[in-house]
Amino acid sequence: MGKFILRRVGQAVIVVLAAILLVYVATYALGDPFASTGDRQVPPEIAAQNRAIFGLDQPLPIQYINYIGNLVTGDLGLDFDQRRPVIDMLGAVVPNTARLALVAILIDVAIGVIAGIIAAVKRYSFADVLVTVVSTVAIGVPTFVIGLGLLAFLSGVGPFPVVPRSFTDQVPWYQEVLLPAFALAIIDAAFVARLMRGSMLEVLRADYIRTARAKGVSERRVIGVHALRNSIIPVVTYVGVSLGTLLGGAIITEAIFQYDGVGYLLFRAIGSNNAPVISAVIVFGVIAYTVLSLIVDILYAFLDPRIRLN
Amino acid sequence: MSSLPPTSGESEAVGTSDPVRSSGSADSARSASAVDAKLPKRRRSGSPGQFRDIWNRYRRNKLALVGTFIVGLLVFLAIFEPILTPFDPFEQNLLNTTAPPDSRHFFGTDVLGRDMFSAIIYGAKLAVIVGVVTVLMSLLVGVVFGAIAGFRGKFWDTLIMRLTDIFLAFPLIIGAILVVRTFGAGITPVIIALVVFGWATTARLMRGQTLALRESEYVEAARSIGASDGRIILRHIMPNAIAPVLVYAFTNIGVVVVAMASLSFLGVGVPANVPEWGRMLSQAYGFIKVPGQSHLWAFPALAICITTLGFAFVADGLRDALDPKLRGGN
Repeated sequence: MGKFILRRVGQAVIVVLAAILLVYVATYALGDPFASTGDRQVPPEIAAQNRAIFGLDQPLPIQYINYIGNLVTGDLGLDFDQRRPVIDMLGAVVPNTARLALVAILIDVAIGVIAGIIAAVKRYSFADVLVTVVSTVAIGVPTFVIGLGLLAFLSGVGPFPVVPRSFTDQVPWYQEVLLPAFALAIIDAAFVARLMRGSMLEVLRADYIRTARAKGVSERRVIGVHALRNSIIPVVTYVGVSLGTLLGGAIITEAIFQYDGVGYLLFRAIGSNNAPVISAVIVFGVIAYTVLSLIVDILYAFLDPRIRLN
Repeated sequence: MSSLPPTSGESEAVGTSDPVRSSGSADSARSASAVDAKLPKRRRSGSPGQFRDIWNRYRRNKLALVGTFIVGLLVFLAIFEPILTPFDPFEQNLLNTTAPPDSRHFFGTDVLGRDMFSAIIYGAKLAVIVGVVTVLMSLLVGVVFGAIAGFRGKFWDTLIMRLTDIFLAFPLIIGAILVVRTFGAGITPVIIALVVFGWATTARLMRGQTLALRESEYVEAARSIGASDGRIILRHIMPNAIAPVLVYAFTNIGVVVVAMASLSFLGVGVPANVPEWGRMLSQAYGFIKVPGQSHLWAFPALAICITTLGFAFVADGLRDALDPKLRGGN
C-alpha cells in the first residue's frame, strides 16, 4: 500500500509540474501578457521596463523555475491591474468556492443516491421510468442553461437573493449559495442516480444478498446496509472527481450568479486580461483536480485490493 | 465503420439465425442448404446481417429516433443556412433592437438589432461545423496515439499515457480558455483548443481496446502468417476496437457544442460580432430579468438544449445498439 501511494503521489507531482509548464508557456511565452496595451498607450521602452519588473525578460527555463519556486513559497506574483498579491486574491475567494462545491455535492448525493435506490429497488415501476427519463434529459441539458433558467425564474423569489447583488443588503452565505449549488447539482445528481441504480441492481443479484434475506434480515436493512455499502463505491469515485472539478472553479455557474468564487475571479481576470491571476487560477484548478483524483485513487485502492496489486 | 470485421462470416450467420419471429431458426437447424440458399440473396440486397441487427436494435429506442430527427434537422439547417435565413445574421439595425417576435422577425431582434431567427440558424451551422470538425480531429489524434500506445506498449505506452495524464488534469473549459487566449478569439482557435484538450480520453479508450485485442488468438494468427504491424492494427484490431470509441465521439459532439457556447459566453470564444449561441446568451445576460425580453435568452438557450439532447439521445441509442451487453447495467 505504501509503495502504491508513493508511486501515485510521484505521478501526480510530475503531472502538476508539466501542467504548470504548459500554463506558463501558454500565458507568458506564446501569448503576450501585455498584448492589450498597444504601442500608443505604453511606449516600447516602458513595456520593456514592465517586462523587467515582472521578470519576463529572463530566459524561459529560468522564469519557469522561478515561478515554481515562488509557488512553493506561496508567492503567486502581483496582478497587473492594481499590483495586489495574487495569493491574497485567491485566498479571499477559495473558501466561497469550497462552500459552493460542498453544498452542491451534498445536494447531488442526497438526490442522486435516493433516486437511484428507489429506481433500482422498484425496477420497471413508474418511479424507475421517471428517474431514468428525468436523468437522461438532465444529463443532456448543459449546466449553463440550467443556471440561466434558475436565474431567470427563481432569483429574487423567496429565499433566493437577487443576482446582481446589492452592496447595501447583506445576504447570508447559505442563501447566496443555494441557487448556484442547485444549478451545479442537477446534472451531477442525474449521473449519480444512474450510477447508483446500475450498481445497486448488480449488487442485489449477488449471493450474499440472498443469504441475508434467507436469514430473515428485514428488507430495509438488506437495502440500506448490505446492498448500499457495496453499491456506493462507484458513486464515491464519481463524487470525488466531481468535487475536484468544482473546486477548480465552476466558472460558468459562478459567472452567471456573480458568485464571488475562484471561477468568477477567473472570469473577471479574463475580462481585464490580467495574466498573473488567470495563470494562478488555472494552476490552482489543476492542483485541486489532481489532488482530489489522487485521494480518490488511494481510497479506491484501499477499498479494493485488486487495484493496488496490479 | 467502413471495413467489416474479419469475423464477418460469423456475424452473417448470427444475422440469419437471430430473428426468431421470421420462422427461420427452426428451418435452418433442419437443413443447412436452406441457409446457404438464403445467404447470397441477403448479400445482394446490400444489407449485411450485422448492420441490419444494429439498425433493428437502434430503431426500437424511441429517444434515439427523436435524437436522429434533431441531428438531421441541425445538419439540414447547417447545409441550407444561406437559403433558410430571411435576413443576414450579421446585419445590425440599431434602430430596431430587442424587438419582440412578430411576423417579420419570427424570434424578434437582439441587442444589436440582428434578426434572431437568422442568428439562431447561423448558430446551428457553427455548432454543427465546430462539433463535427473538433470531434473528427480528436478522433484521429486519439485513435492514432491510443493504437500506438496499446500496440507498441513499453516506452510508447508510458510516454503517451503520461501525456494524456497532463491534458486530463485540466478541466475542459479551463484548458480551452488557456489555448484560446494564447491564439486569439475565433472559430479555428476554439477548435484547436477543444482538440488539444479532447483527444486524451479517446486515446485512453482506444489504448484499452487495443491492449485487450492485442493478445487475442485471431491477432496472433494474423501475426503468424506474417501480417505487418500496420495491417494488424488497421484490418484486425481497428474494426473490433472502434465501436466504443465512436460512441464516445458521438456523445462528445454535444459536449463540444456546450464548450464552445461556454467559451463564447465567457468572452473568450468567437469574436463578439459572430452570432453564436453562447455569445447571444452573454449579450442577453443583462436582460434576463427584464419582462417582455425573454426571447433574447430563451431561443439560444433552447437551441443549445435541443442540440445537446439530440446528440445525447443518438449516442445513447448507438451504444445500446452496438453493444447489447451494456444494456443490462444501464
